[in-house]
Amino acid sequence: MAEKKKACIVGGGTCKFGVRAATIFDMLQEAAHAMSQDIPGLKPKDIDGLIFASTTAGRNSNSLNTAPIVAHRLGIKPSSICVRVDTLCSGSNTAIILATGLIESGISDVVLVCGTEKLNLPQRWESIYMNLMTNDHDWDSAMGLAVPPPFFGMIADAHMKKYGTTKEQMGSVSVTNYAYGFNNPNAQFGGKSLTIDDYLNARTVCDPFGLNDCCPVTDGASAVIIASEERAKAMTNRPLVYIRGTGQVATHGMSAGWPGETLADWPHLKKAGEIAYKAAQITPKDIDVAQTHDCFSISEIVEVEELGFCKKGEGGAFVASGQVKVDGQTPTNTDGGLLAVGHPYGATGARQAVEICKQLQGRALNQVKNAKFGLTHNLSGVCAQHTVVIYGTEPVK
Amino acid sequence: MAELKSAKIYGVPQLDGKYSVVLDMWPLEDPEQNRLYPFYDNMKQGRWTTTKCKKCGYISYPPVVACPNCWGDELEWIDLPKTAKVVSLTETMAGAPLGFDSPLIVAWLGFDKSHPLKHLFVRIINCQAGQLKPGDEVQFVTFEVPSIPIDVKKETKICDRVYYAFEPVKK
Repeated sequence: MAEKKKACIVGGGTCKFGVRAATIFDMLQEAAHAMSQDIPGLKPKDIDGLIFASTTAGRNSNSLNTAPIVAHRLGIKPSSICVRVDTLCSGSNTAIILATGLIESGISDVVLVCGTEKLNLPQRWESIYMNLMTNDHDWDSAMGLAVPPPFFGMIADAHMKKYGTTKEQMGSVSVTNYAYGFNNPNAQFGGKSLTIDDYLNARTVCDPFGLNDCCPVTDGASAVIIASEERAKAMTNRPLVYIRGTGQVATHGMSAGWPGETLADWPHLKKAGEIAYKAAQITPKDIDVAQTHDCFSISEIVEVEELGFCKKGEGGAFVASGQVKVDGQTPTNTDGGLLAVGHPYGATGARQAVEICKQLQGRALNQVKNAKFGLTHNLSGVCAQHTVVIYGTEPVK
Repeated sequence: MAELKSAKIYGVPQLDGKYSVVLDMWPLEDPEQNRLYPFYDNMKQGRWTTTKCKKCGYISYPPVVACPNCWGDELEWIDLPKTAKVVSLTETMAGAPLGFDSPLIVAWLGFDKSHPLKHLFVRIINCQAGQLKPGDEVQFVTFEVPSIPIDVKKETKICDRVYYAFEPVKK
């Protein structure tokens, strides 16, 4: 049997995230352009595979089999794979796992992973109404579960009661991530600073969340190249960044199947992390920089616990003590995260991957010194599924 | 920008009267569309039910056609106890999805150890904002939701529908 190939992320780019006067195809082309600037010399003909991540592409294009449309608009002619994936908020992170498998098996050599979402629809009511489709329609959605703040508000309530997490600790997540995103030209809230007083005085969205606890409603697109080690070497002079391990765990699609004892406990994330760490042959303490799914401030607090960066229940103190800042133990969401950059579902995982790629190549805007191992994480829907990808400057031996 | 005029038809006029909405908010509940129709038939009698596997005894929720524990297809309908306690709740005062009135009150429920369910996300109705708090007892309640036309052979059948939520138990 042939030896397994090694998969690398070569580079990538995103369009400007925010409320965009553009279609999904416009934004994908902008992201492809940004990617071409990041990987000089890359040509459409170099690409043999396309994995396109989007949940709402059908609604936004009034088309169903959208991957060939994306291929046409981007000028590529995939010959190994051409497919759309929908895992909601983890779409392009899932696509990176699939691309890795295709490259390691030898089916593909150079895969374009791209993702997009247009969540600001022609009329505002539809943006909320459409979210009724992001859960199990016949059960949770029929209870009115649409946009996620009420559900994550209950997660925050559970964490505060069980572990003593405070509103100020949640605020430190938002303040830190807005600070990270300040110099990110593609962030929805780029150039916007946030103080803890601003945070505490913001209008209430739903208890205990104020406006800055929640990521915004965002349009955007992102694109990355995943390639075999040999092709990656031919494409770039930068240090190679390897995909070392992945994990994806889905335990339920409806609230009755919630796997934790309480909403504050996310055993499915813990398991996804353990699978990825094992494959990557590292432990949580080896992670130099992380991009976790801070859809809400409380999410990052639970995630640093379940991913093993601190003990369970100590996430609030961990973030508030500066351990997620650029000189802390595990710098987290160093480009601004979902809270400051925004969260166009299918585009987020690849956006995170671009940031980790830059960090491990030593060229990020908020650079972590000597970063060797990086991690990306997404949750999907109302915390139904967790996806983890671990990167390194050296391959797994 | 052109001024809206009531005489002008917007959207997709060809669909007028054929589809009530693009996205139906409620399940298809009739035997012609859904093998779980007994759940909804039972609900019309005020019963909260689910399926139990005759082979392995596993009780699933939501109800199923094949047991998720053993994939057996011999199932029976059982009644679920209809009370629970509120663990946590949130009240959405504005911005509830179209079709849901504000305040939209939703809760995370916990059930007794004897109950087949451990927890469940539900909507709370017949309740004022600020009335309910964690620890309070709530009970299963049904209500009518919009009927839907479906084609059955050459006829169009109007399917009446119900759904459920929980409401405070009067002290």
